[in-house]
Amino acid sequence: MAPRRLLLGTVLALAATTGRARAQGADPTRATQFIQATGQELVSALNSNAPVAQRRQQVAAILRRAVDVEGVGRFILGRWWRQASAAEQQEYTRLFEETLIRNLSARFGEYQGVRFSLGRAQQRTEDDVLVNTVIERPNIAPFALDWRVGDINGQPRVVDVIAEGTSLRLTQRSEYSAVIQRNNGQVSALLAAMRNQIQQLAAREGH
Amino acid sequence: MRFKPSILLLAALLPAFGACATRPPADDPESLAEFRQTNDPIEPFNRGSYAVHQAIDRNVLAPVARAYRDGVPEPVRLGVRNALANLRTPVILANDILQGEPRRAGDTLGRFVVNSTLGVGGIFDVAGNRLGVRGHTEDFGQTFARWGIGEGPYLFIPVIGPSNPRDLTGFGLGIAADPLIWLGQGTTVDVLTYSRTGATVVDTREELLDPIDAVERSSLDSYATLRSAYRQRRRAEIENRTGGGTPSGFGTGFGVGPGEPSAPSRR
Repeated sequence: MAPRRLLLGTVLALAATTGRARAQGADPTRATQFIQATGQELVSALNSNAPVAQRRQQVAAILRRAVDVEGVGRFILGRWWRQASAAEQQEYTRLFEETLIRNLSARFGEYQGVRFSLGRAQQRTEDDVLVNTVIERPNIAPFALDWRVGDINGQPRVVDVIAEGTSLRLTQRSEYSAVIQRNNGQVSALLAAMRNQIQQLAAREGH
Repeated sequence: MRFKPSILLLAALLPAFGACATRPPADDPESLAEFRQTNDPIEPFNRGSYAVHQAIDRNVLAPVARAYRDGVPEPVRLGVRNALANLRTPVILANDILQGEPRRAGDTLGRFVVNSTLGVGGIFDVAGNRLGVRGHTEDFGQTFARWGIGEGPYLFIPVIGPSNPRDLTGFGLGIAADPLIWLGQGTTVDVLTYSRTGATVVDTREELLDPIDAVERSSLDSYATLRSAYRQRRRAEIENRTGGGTPSGFGTGFGVGPGEPSAPSRR
């Protein structure tokens, strides 16, 4: 089984190099450096003493640069993406990005004093690299956070984070799909719920 | 054959399930695939249980956990957590052995001996902090999984939390196999058992205050989020991919962990 998969992998890798520069994204060293740099940026933004609004802007800028927001959003919407109208797809992508940023900034307080270090292993999967990190916060047990790094147009981009074995994008796909299903398959119901959630998060922050 | 024990348990529970989720029609392969993937054929019943659980949680479990966090100093809470974790080690050891993991069994046994003595009845995690032997979780549900028994359909049980026939059976066995139960009968044993159960529920809920608040704040459907997170996390636990630290005990269904801070370990 293993040698056969290896052979298949080699053939695919060869096919990929002759085709597009796919192997580039699956370069563990590059992915690790990318996570190291992005992680440092995020940690210093989270730990800065700047006002919340300013910190949120910083974090938002980092996320837009580092995360394949559109791809992750599409993955999460899954089969419903094709059922959505072009306008709905567009609005969804916009709302998804804002949800991502607002949800993270709502938890700024919890991330005070956060530190991270690169874990032991970096595994290569079919077309991504998993970069293991350990997140430490004061008074809280350290936990493992894995970053799935993909190749998006020749650039490394975060496509998923996995906390203690739980993938964020899989969990969120399940959540969004449940909302749509419980509203008779209407993507518009999800968009309404997302808009509502963003409003609540904004109200909580006082902006 | 693979699902036999799950099916037996399910048959026993079946009269309670009034409602079943509507299975998507066969001409819609995508939603049928998702239906199978979600593995929640009795979703309406489970959502009802979840509503009951949330009512209990909002009125009793969460307020008590918050009062415990506010009223009891952190070092004391840590001591309680360590002591409860130490009481769980015999069952973890049994499962390490049943899974044929001598190294992990050795860790668990060593921790139990060191922490019960030098750690003053398990209050201090000497083995973890001084000797660097971290705890890990194991339970009968995980052992069944390692033996090739399928999880069966998803279940949500009030107070216990997300589960399935396999893990629920394992949970019951974990209680039955606990050495404290073998101490005999009588008022003293009863008091000990009830105090320990109560302490475990409060300690676990306290540990989960922040994660559950975060889920309720950020999720558009916390039932679906917990279902997905539970199943993914269980898979990771079964494959021993998790650090083994948080969450622990029941009141959550997230498995019974060592309950003390432990560094993430990877295979």
